Amino acid sequence: MDTPIISLRGIGRTYDMGTVAVEALRSVDLDVAPGEFVAIIGPSGSGKSTLMHIIGCLDRPTAGTYRLAGAPVEDLDDDGLARVRSRTIGFVFQSYNLLPRTSALDNVVAPLLYQGVKRSDRVRRARAALERLGLADRMGHEPSELSGGQQQRVAVARALVSDPALILADEPTGNLDQASGHDVLEVFRELNRSGRTIVLITHDQEVAEAATRQVHIRDGRLVA
Amino acid sequence: MSLVDLVRLAFSRLRTGRLRAALTMLGVIIGVASVVALVGVGQGTTSNITERLSSLGTNLLTISAAGAAGGAESTLTLGDAEALAGLDGIAGVAPESQAQAVVAADGETTTTSIIGTTEDYAAVRAFDVWQGTFLTDVAVERNLRVAVLGATTADDLGLDESSLGTEITIGGLPFKLIGILQPKGGATFADPDDQVMVPIGVVHKYLTGGDGVRTIGVSVAEQDQMTAVQSGITTLLRARHDLAAADDDDFSIFDQAQLLETASSISGTLTLLLGGIASISLVVGGIGIMNIMLVSVRERTREIGIRKAVGARGRDILLQFLIEALTLSGLGGILGVAVGLGVSALIARIGGISFAFSPTTLAVALLFSLAVGIVFGVWPARQAARLDPITALRYE
Ligand SMILES: Nc1ncnc2c1ncn2[C@@H]1O[C@H](COP(=O)(O)OP(=O)(O)O)[C@@H](O)[C@H]1O
Ligand SMILES: [Mg+2]
Repeated sequence: MDTPIISLRGIGRTYDMGTVAVEALRSVDLDVAPGEFVAIIGPSGSGKSTLMHIIGCLDRPTAGTYRLAGAPVEDLDDDGLARVRSRTIGFVFQSYNLLPRTSALDNVVAPLLYQGVKRSDRVRRARAALERLGLADRMGHEPSELSGGQQQRVAVARALVSDPALILADEPTGNLDQASGHDVLEVFRELNRSGRTIVLITHDQEVAEAATRQVHIRDGRLVA
Repeated sequence: MSLVDLVRLAFSRLRTGRLRAALTMLGVIIGVASVVALVGVGQGTTSNITERLSSLGTNLLTISAAGAAGGAESTLTLGDAEALAGLDGIAGVAPESQAQAVVAADGETTTTSIIGTTEDYAAVRAFDVWQGTFLTDVAVERNLRVAVLGATTADDLGLDESSLGTEITIGGLPFKLIGILQPKGGATFADPDDQVMVPIGVVHKYLTGGDGVRTIGVSVAEQDQMTAVQSGITTLLRARHDLAAADDDDFSIFDQAQLLETASSISGTLTLLLGGIASISLVVGGIGIMNIMLVSVRERTREIGIRKAVGARGRDILLQFLIEALTLSGLGGILGVAVGLGVSALIARIGGISFAFSPTTLAVALLFSLAVGIVFGVWPARQAARLDPITALRYE
């Protein structure tokens, strides 16, 4: 097996709530190889989002070590984490999280802004990503002018545009009707076929079927 | 992110909230406009006074008879003027008697001041001759009926260099026109160019009917002798007028230059004060920007979270909000300068005040408004930059 792109060892995340401490994750070990499509399945409140935030370098674990593409993440400062997110990771969220009052094109351009890509290249790449998701005729539309499925496809285009090694999706179909949900999952499958590593988080076993490997999480622990 | 991208982002943001942007800028617009207008008008007034100062005549003392406005009962006499000429440190003495009369030439008439004076008048009052000559000592001594016209009067009567040597009438009497003066301009008080100068004896004989002197202009040789000469004049005139030690002076000595210098420094101080007060409104405008930026950071918490998730560093967010504040204050500054210039022009036109267009003031006002943007924008921007990405993403 290649060096795993994600390697978690003994990861814990405790939220200090003053009087009580909430242990959202306990000693999680997980390896994800390049090119895998992994689904993390668990009921609501089991720690899925917390795990994704740590994998996505949006949050830091309170215990354990995390190597991303072989490099330890603990040593990075906030700017270092931002750089990792910018270069290596693309996010898709349940609630789309598009920039409001901003066209689909500008939404997809956003990650490239922070990579310092030239303006003409930014637009070209964002157009290509939107076209790939079948949104060629919606580039000038703002999120409020798009259906849920279209918004989520814009979000996927945004996650793709910087050509990241890893795509993290947290309940990407949670807000979608069955047909649009299917479309989005089909997009993930196709992305994976073309070699991209994907970690998909869901509470829905049916959605998880789209992945090539399934990992279950319960009360902050991975279960067999 | 490059500066161009940041500015572009800021502008697209302002476009989506035009009304709010406009209202936020209003504070800065008003602040900058009032600085530009008030300082402009203030500096205009100051420079007006300064201009007037130099056209008065150098080291000029004006002695006026107490009480009477001139004519027969005046306490000053031609004899006083002659005696003053003998004092140390005096460069020129010009007694003046004044009357109003109708001046006519070639069918044109105007009513103006007739100044009876001597050949020293031009030097004492800092007039230059444009055409012909000024009153000569011979003309003054022999009371010749010759006249020199101020520029405005000559203009009113339609006279120019070709008219020299022709006859004009003053109060119905014929005079020979021998000279026309250069205009002094600066018509803040009475127009110094609207007057006719004739030998003093002629005014006494035909117009005022007495030998009283209304004022005596004295030009002092050296600036630093002004005070000494002033007390020399007082001593001499008191002696000549047989005043007892307990009596008040029956004349007054007036240092116009000093008065105007005081006026000019007061007006300068006033300008500073007005500018200062106006700057306070600019600061208030800045607080308005800060207020809106803080609200904006709250409203856009989720946007900040999204941007961080897609790779923005704290610095990128800081700059984004800072540039937004700067765009608001900078645009406000530019509009404020435009409004300020418009208002000054209006004040100048309505109030007849001249206003000084000073590039320094404009530059300072603009820089100041940008500084306001930075000072009041940096705190909200730091708040935004420090947000934790997950907290920001979860924010509803
Ligand atoms: N910021 C937080 N502060 C305190 N507790 C939190 C926070 N985020 C998550 N939790 C807790 O951690 C647990 C796991 O949450 P989460 O990862 O969101 O679960 P999931 O995504 O599987 O529904 C929950 O019990 C939740 O209440
Ligand atoms: Mg969740």
